[in-house]
Amino acid sequence: MSRNTDLTCPRCDTADVRVLTRSPVPGAWEMYSCRVCLYSWRSTEPDSARIPATYPAAFKLDPAEIDALPVVPALPD
Amino acid sequence: MAHPDLRSYLSALDAHGQLLRWQDRVDPEPDLGAAARAVSNLTDRGPALLFDSITGYERGRVALNAVGSWPNHALMLGLPPETPVKDQFFEFARRWDDFPVAVERRTDPPWAELSLDEGIDLFQLLPLFRLNSWDVGCYIDKALVITRDPDDPDHFGKQNVGIYRMQVKDVDTLGIQPLPTHDAGLHLRRAEQRGQHLPVAIAIGNEPVITTVGGMPLNHDESEYEMAGAIQGEPYRIAAAPLTGLDVPWGAEVVLEGEMLAGVREVEGPFGEFTGHYSGGRRQPVIRIRKVSYRPDPIFEHLYLGMPWTEMDYTLALNTSVPLHRQLKAEFPEVVAVNAMYTQGLLAIVSVKQRYGGFGKAVGMRAMTTPHGLGYCKVVIVVDETVDPFNLAQVMWALSVKFHPRHDTVTVPNASVLPLDPSSDPPGITDKVVLDATTPIAPDTRGHYSQTVEAPERTAEWEQALKEMLR
Repeated sequence: MSRNTDLTCPRCDTADVRVLTRSPVPGAWEMYSCRVCLYSWRSTEPDSARIPATYPAAFKLDPAEIDALPVVPALPD
Repeated sequence: MAHPDLRSYLSALDAHGQLLRWQDRVDPEPDLGAAARAVSNLTDRGPALLFDSITGYERGRVALNAVGSWPNHALMLGLPPETPVKDQFFEFARRWDDFPVAVERRTDPPWAELSLDEGIDLFQLLPLFRLNSWDVGCYIDKALVITRDPDDPDHFGKQNVGIYRMQVKDVDTLGIQPLPTHDAGLHLRRAEQRGQHLPVAIAIGNEPVITTVGGMPLNHDESEYEMAGAIQGEPYRIAAAPLTGLDVPWGAEVVLEGEMLAGVREVEGPFGEFTGHYSGGRRQPVIRIRKVSYRPDPIFEHLYLGMPWTEMDYTLALNTSVPLHRQLKAEFPEVVAVNAMYTQGLLAIVSVKQRYGGFGKAVGMRAMTTPHGLGYCKVVIVVDETVDPFNLAQVMWALSVKFHPRHDTVTVPNASVLPLDPSSDPPGITDKVVLDATTPIAPDTRGHYSQTVEAPERTAEWEQALKEMLR
């Protein structure tokens, strides 16, 4: 299994990624989280969940689009 | 007999051969989601799944598909596992009439044994995992979310117990989807108007009746706990959560407490939803967890959802069908039963004894204007009172021989529907249709229906005898 060693977010392709947590049994897995789009993934998941080039285009998110996403529920005036 | 907690319910399933314990080690992804998908694919009489060896966890346990079959649904209600769906429907409706049943307050909840106020990491506590491949992350989607009405915090009935999908965004942070029409959305709005955070308790791993009631369309001032008492047939046990004082189920595995943050909306989703499609991304509220209380070795009870049928369709089947039945029957006592189990009632089947020609069509249109129907009931099939709406072979027979497309189709243009319906265009607007498969009666006389083939004499006795032999 290939490793996403550079820790680029598979979903929004930014490099602003952090370690979210590590397995209670040391060494089994790590989880990562993207600070921009909040996508998270585990080091042991299939490539398509971890590797930007294999993440499906239909589910990619352009960081520039986040501010325009619908706000649900709306904030009170 | 009521099940006091999830463990008791799982034991009852086990005693009836309806619990499958998987003891080989499994990976969180994709195995756990795949196993839950698979058991729904195989059968509507399948078992719950209990996993107790998860890669990376010393003692992680995951329960899936707890109510994901008709035998398990019957056992939830304390009925024999072979109870037909139609009989479960009538029993559920009968118990609803007992609402409200006063709660039993306790001070000894098993979840109070262990707690954390600092260093909270939900991933260490529970084996969280991604359900469907393109979910944005791990979710908690079967927990009870408990909030009070900031405008009337002492009103027990206005305290809401609901189920909302929650994205686990950090070790102590969740995203939540409380729609404006939901009680939690109303509570959040009132808190935000005051500029205050909304205290919240989240109970994970519960016996199934309160989970079922959490998905019921109750009025804002009606207590889910008092309804759970009615459905389970004895007072519901609750206990006060230590940080917020919110009432939570006595039997929960884990109780999280914190607050929904006023004025905060953050990117959430997508998540594979009950329509069989992914929701898009939205900016939604955020919950910060401040305290965790839990049993030793808690079980993470989780719900797989996606393309129907899944466990969610069982848990919502009767709590969607029974309110529609009650609302229709209040005006049309000829209504016998309602099956609104398909995608939460986007399609519903109503059985009714006709008063006169055209009556079935009127009942079908009324279903669309009930409170639930305003967002659902896109397709309403109406059948005679002799047809069991829970028996699709009978319904398809009625559609195939009673329904005449020219005479029996009523289309309602530009009606309201929930925006998650992927066919709605614009989202939230759709045409709706009544398919009237009742037998035409005067003055709507047409067709040739006089010579039905009745069952031979003594068929009912033979049914009973054969059923006994098959036991």
